[in-house]
Amino acid sequence: MSQTAVIHEHKAVPQPKQHGKPGGFLAQANIFTGLIGGVVTAGVTYFIGDKLVPWGTQNADFSQVGLNALVFCTFVAWVIGFMAGIGAFAGPIRWALGHDLTHDDAEYMAGKGQGRMKYWKYTTDHKVVGIQYLVMALVLFGFGGFFAMLIRTELGATWREVFDPNFYNSLIGTHGIVMIIAMIIVVAGPLGNFIMPLMIGARDMAFPRLNALSFWLLFAAVPPLVLNLVLGGMRDGWTAYQPLGTQAPIGMIGYQVCIITFAFSTGIAGVNLITTIVTMRARGMTWARTPIFIIGTLAAAIMGLVWFPMFQYAQLLAASDKVIGTSFYIPQNGGSVWLYENLFWLLGHPEVYVIIVPATAGIMELMVVFLRKPLFSYKMAIVGFAGVVGISAVVWVHHMYMTGFAPQAGYPFMLSTELISIPFGFLVLVMLGTMWRGKAWNRLPMMIVYAVIFDKIIGGITGVYLSDVPVDQYMHGSMFVVAHFHYMLMGAGLFGAMAVIIYWFPKMTGRMFDERIGKIGFWTAFLAFQVTFLSMFVAGLQGMPRRVLQFDNAFEISNWISTIGAYFIGIGMLIFLYALITSWRNGKVAPSNPWGSKTLEWQTQTPVPLENFPVLPVVTSDPYGYGVPDPYLKVEEQLDKDDNETVGAR
Amino acid sequence: MSIETPVDQPEPPTNRPDPTHRMKEWFSRDYVRKIIAIFIVLTIIIIPIAWLVIHFLELSGGPASSIMEELETTIFVFTLVSAPLMAITAAVLVYSLFGWGSIKSEEPPMQENPAIRTNAVAVIGWTVATSLLAAFLVIWGMVELATITADSYGSTPASQQPNATKPIDVNVTGQQWVWTFEYPDQERIQSDVLVVPINTPIYFNVTSKDVIHSFWVVEMGVKIDANPGAVTNTGFTANKLGTFNIRCAELCGLHHAYMETNVQVVTQDQFDSWVREQGGKRTV
Repeated sequence: MSQTAVIHEHKAVPQPKQHGKPGGFLAQANIFTGLIGGVVTAGVTYFIGDKLVPWGTQNADFSQVGLNALVFCTFVAWVIGFMAGIGAFAGPIRWALGHDLTHDDAEYMAGKGQGRMKYWKYTTDHKVVGIQYLVMALVLFGFGGFFAMLIRTELGATWREVFDPNFYNSLIGTHGIVMIIAMIIVVAGPLGNFIMPLMIGARDMAFPRLNALSFWLLFAAVPPLVLNLVLGGMRDGWTAYQPLGTQAPIGMIGYQVCIITFAFSTGIAGVNLITTIVTMRARGMTWARTPIFIIGTLAAAIMGLVWFPMFQYAQLLAASDKVIGTSFYIPQNGGSVWLYENLFWLLGHPEVYVIIVPATAGIMELMVVFLRKPLFSYKMAIVGFAGVVGISAVVWVHHMYMTGFAPQAGYPFMLSTELISIPFGFLVLVMLGTMWRGKAWNRLPMMIVYAVIFDKIIGGITGVYLSDVPVDQYMHGSMFVVAHFHYMLMGAGLFGAMAVIIYWFPKMTGRMFDERIGKIGFWTAFLAFQVTFLSMFVAGLQGMPRRVLQFDNAFEISNWISTIGAYFIGIGMLIFLYALITSWRNGKVAPSNPWGSKTLEWQTQTPVPLENFPVLPVVTSDPYGYGVPDPYLKVEEQLDKDDNETVGAR
Repeated sequence: MSIETPVDQPEPPTNRPDPTHRMKEWFSRDYVRKIIAIFIVLTIIIIPIAWLVIHFLELSGGPASSIMEELETTIFVFTLVSAPLMAITAAVLVYSLFGWGSIKSEEPPMQENPAIRTNAVAVIGWTVATSLLAAFLVIWGMVELATITADSYGSTPASQQPNATKPIDVNVTGQQWVWTFEYPDQERIQSDVLVVPINTPIYFNVTSKDVIHSFWVVEMGVKIDANPGAVTNTGFTANKLGTFNIRCAELCGLHHAYMETNVQVVTQDQFDSWVREQGGKRTV
């Protein structure tokens, strides 16, 4: 081969011809056409399906299976109809017809010149998708929090059943899965979409249309889930263990369709995040100069992409048991209950880290700014995240110590579970080291960081008990577990998410967050949180099983305390929400870099223009160049210098 | 350096400080001493929690088997060994809040803090400390797991257990929402309350008729899932007379909350007469 340099000439790529106005069908499509499309398709499917099902011609079992199949098809039709109505298929169809989207169409899809209407449409701009995710997460927290209040009301009213058992069991399941979905999207959704491309100096995500697709799939997945409460409920907890699930009313179908759809949404979002982070970082942003929040988002996206399909398989098989009468999980017909549990927890545990990791990384990002110090041991943080991602793949059986499916599995999985505390400990050291000798700028996000670390201490130590098989023999399935994972998911995850949302609030909304009211709300919620869940630890230690609606007199006092605490969490969260909404509507207008941060997203103007940067930035150093030389180090450097001089003289 | 260097010759004079100089200097710093003081105070405050946890565990009637006793020891030891780690984290947190102080201002503060990029001693020290702690927890846990597996059923069939006392087999069946106990060696008598003699190994074959339940004998520290289509094993030797709780620890449908019963630990004589009342025959 000769070494001829090939010079590519700049050729004009043939552009597709513009047909009509920019946007075409998409100009008409919005959330309302989506809702109409979804409801109409679902209605038609139900009507036709009802005619097709041969009711009464089969054995007694068949009517239930027929109903399940009908409801399943209706929910799937809702999802497809909704996506069609909002215009999700416009791009592929036009491509197939040879009328591909033009540049003007693409700009229209990104929300150019549409004002506020773009938030209600199939908009591809990452900033719009970020805001949509944020609002969606808030709505889900609203649902989940309301269900939590109902649950605590039942448990506080120890003298009677407030709700009937079917509704109560559906409540705990719906509370669980709604909160899990909300927690998965609350950091990786709004901040991963809005802030991450800005932070790496990109103009948008790698696949803008997939970005819109992932959000609207999530939107379409929620109604089947929440509707289960009026369709007879999904009374089996968020785990929906089989074969219990086969007994459940048709509400369970809503749960299954929701999970199957949501897993598509997560997978698409995961691919998009990973591709964007790997390929679209600004010139000069090597891996060593990448902000830690980006690394955290990448770690979470990898875990979500790899493990979410397991949850999807679990629910697909469960749905096929219910809908077409297979028996993957029905032991009487040769199925296995342990198959479901394994598939479920293969996602179930990594999912906890999908929640914790982005929040932790976001906290590290803001600590640096408020402490005016570089991140302590960036490499250790990377090793920590990598370790969590790696080991998270092999810890799922610690949810199944007591299932008896493999008694000897206790040994290796106890080992892996204890091992994962080491990379997690690295992350704690990074936080403590960043605090070390720093005078903190006393703003609400920084104060929340202290609260989060406090919760992590308690959540971590109680996790040590639960990772141990012998202790788990007592604790498994008790209220102790409930209190522990609320400390991790709410105390560390949700409060951490609140900190990072306040931190990036000025960039996302163009307004400053009202810290005076927000502070009252947060600290009310935080103190009430301690009351609620410390008291729940006591109930668990005394031997109260979880997911019960009545219990022994011995647990009454701790449950009363928990219920009062929970109401105050609700009040605190409402105050916080009030602060969020009022500051969003008419807060103080934010400057482009209110915190004096050095990461890229703060260097562009607020509100962020359509393609983010007038000129794409070039990165020459890592974003942690804060701080002054260590005064103590001067003395030591002097000593080193003296050493060297002595050696030289010799 | 050659070995012929005369030993009696004095070291050449240098201004190189004592090797321990830096450590001494570090420990003489004001904030280090204060953090150590807070750490010690917090450790002293946290350690009594170990007793508190055990107290809560025993509120419902205390350990009634050797398994539960071992389990309490484990919880106690784990609390003690985690206390220093908890305390050091909390001490840095407290000192960061109140010691190094904070800046109240609207604008980003002008004052910058020391740029500590990394510190080899801290990184290595922390890694070693947490790894040692994790290693201790793993080893303790594995030894303990082996012990309680031997104490309960484990995988050894009842007939091969080396105990002096003849063990009693009990078949436990969970169904929505009751427990049934069958004594195969006592003419297959059935009961909805578990009655066991004291100081006799009891072995359970646990299964379920419909959905997954979890057989939890609270004060004995024993729990195993009751799975449809499979038999799981556990067991205990009660060492305390009295009535204790059995609960279902896995959501099993509408009336999961009410799926509970009792275990009555009685003397051998009382057990024999109970068996006769039920229509069975003597055990021995």
